[in-house]
Amino acid sequence: MVDRRRTLLGDTLAIVMAGGQGERLYPLTRDRGKPAVPFGGIYRVIDFTLSNCLNSGLRKIYVLTQYKSGSLERHVRIGWGPLFNHELDEWIQCVPPQLRVGERWYLGTADAVYQNVYLLERERPRYVVVLSGDHIYKMDYARLIARHEANDAIVTVAAVEVPIAEASAVGVIAVDEESRITAFQEKPKDPIPLPGRPGTVLANMGVYVFDTETLVRALAVDARRESRHDFGYNILPALVDTKKVFAYSFIDENKKETAYWRDVGTLDSYYDASMDLVAVEPVFNLYDKNWPIRTMAQQLPPAKTVFAQEEPGGRLGIVLDSLVSGGAIVSGGRVERCVLGPEVRVNSYAKVVDSVLMDNVDIGRHARVTKAIIDKGVRIPASFVVGEDPEEDKRRFTVTPGGVVVIPRGTQLD
Amino acid sequence: MPKILIIEDEKNLRILYQQDFERDGFEVVTAATAAEGLAMVQDEAPDLVVMDIRLPGMDGLEAMSRLLDKNPKIPVVLNSAYSSYKDSFMSWSADAYVVKSADTGELRARVRELIASRADS
Repeated sequence: MVDRRRTLLGDTLAIVMAGGQGERLYPLTRDRGKPAVPFGGIYRVIDFTLSNCLNSGLRKIYVLTQYKSGSLERHVRIGWGPLFNHELDEWIQCVPPQLRVGERWYLGTADAVYQNVYLLERERPRYVVVLSGDHIYKMDYARLIARHEANDAIVTVAAVEVPIAEASAVGVIAVDEESRITAFQEKPKDPIPLPGRPGTVLANMGVYVFDTETLVRALAVDARRESRHDFGYNILPALVDTKKVFAYSFIDENKKETAYWRDVGTLDSYYDASMDLVAVEPVFNLYDKNWPIRTMAQQLPPAKTVFAQEEPGGRLGIVLDSLVSGGAIVSGGRVERCVLGPEVRVNSYAKVVDSVLMDNVDIGRHARVTKAIIDKGVRIPASFVVGEDPEEDKRRFTVTPGGVVVIPRGTQLD
Repeated sequence: MPKILIIEDEKNLRILYQQDFERDGFEVVTAATAAEGLAMVQDEAPDLVVMDIRLPGMDGLEAMSRLLDKNPKIPVVLNSAYSSYKDSFMSWSADAYVVKSADTGELRARVRELIASRADS
């Protein structure tokens, strides 16, 4: 069984779609694509998908990039490259558009793979796993591939159960009793529920296993049609009639009561997912040694808090219910329910609450920050106030519908 | 009269194909390289393209990708002396793949079919 599993994985190529602009995450995506957005202090969004690959034993990975891919390419090369051994036929490689097919950007997810068919030609894997670099979840792709083979499927689509009320925001998959897919509905008004469970639908997670030849033939046909060139809209529905397209129910390696699969596609969903991490019992567990989440490791000194003057008016460096990354120093300030990135500094008498501070953010003395996302390197001046006066915040910054203030990189407040 | 573009680097084959397809009632234009052929697709607006794969400079598979990117509806028939390219993923975008033969019967039959099905659609 072990040998069989190894053969399957060795004959599988992973393609991670990392070309999305992430417009709804603007301004966090002003200088980077969505997969490169920092998350959880030391990670970037793509790290969760790449950790899934590594933990599943997938070791041939192409990351298809497109917009503003510089920081993502560097992150993958430095942070992930050394984990893959070329001599063992393992690799992870970012592939920017090669303009082999035409001189244009990718028209859709299917077009992105179609334009890189030469990579499949070179490797000739038996299976191709198509993944999105945009989502946060834990999944063993090896089990998915084994199920694909056991079903003698040509495509297997991973699916997560969601309440029918959320169906209009996702791609819904209709299945029969044997998990054979009978229809795809993109953001439907009249969703088809699971057999015998009227309150629940299956949502397409954007995780697919294809027989390689099936994939290439489907892409070649789609490329010549007027189409959105999208897996969910075009490629998968065109294959349903073969009756060999199956759904695979997401088995959550996070092992909590409810399955965790998040598209941190908006600033508010990004903020909520970040705040979940600082809960006493977070829904998403970063600390499971059986499912390690990796990232580009940085050599940094330990996080530190200084000043223990507990008397009134004293300087007290204190951090409560927060994630604190390496190199951060809370020097006489107060931090509650925050995600602090590497080398953040919070100075005396400052108070930072319910916020995400990315790398190298500096909070000046007596400053107050509430419910904010502050991007890398921003200096909040002494006595500056963020997140207390919505009108004032709206004049200067992006404020989300959920009331989160977002201060992008490069903002000068001095 | 439907127009066919032949992209073929061997002069004698170009002449042979031209004669045969004209006899079948097609207007025929020819190109000796992929680059020349791609330019003619724009200038001549052919109804179908027959192209060799092993060509000097840009090969036929790359040329076909570029051609289809701009003109996805034009039927393309790959015409090679080798059958091995049939396995190449890049050849799977073609509407037909005909191995070269002294007898042009199969090639002409496939072209007629494709032109007819195009007229129907």
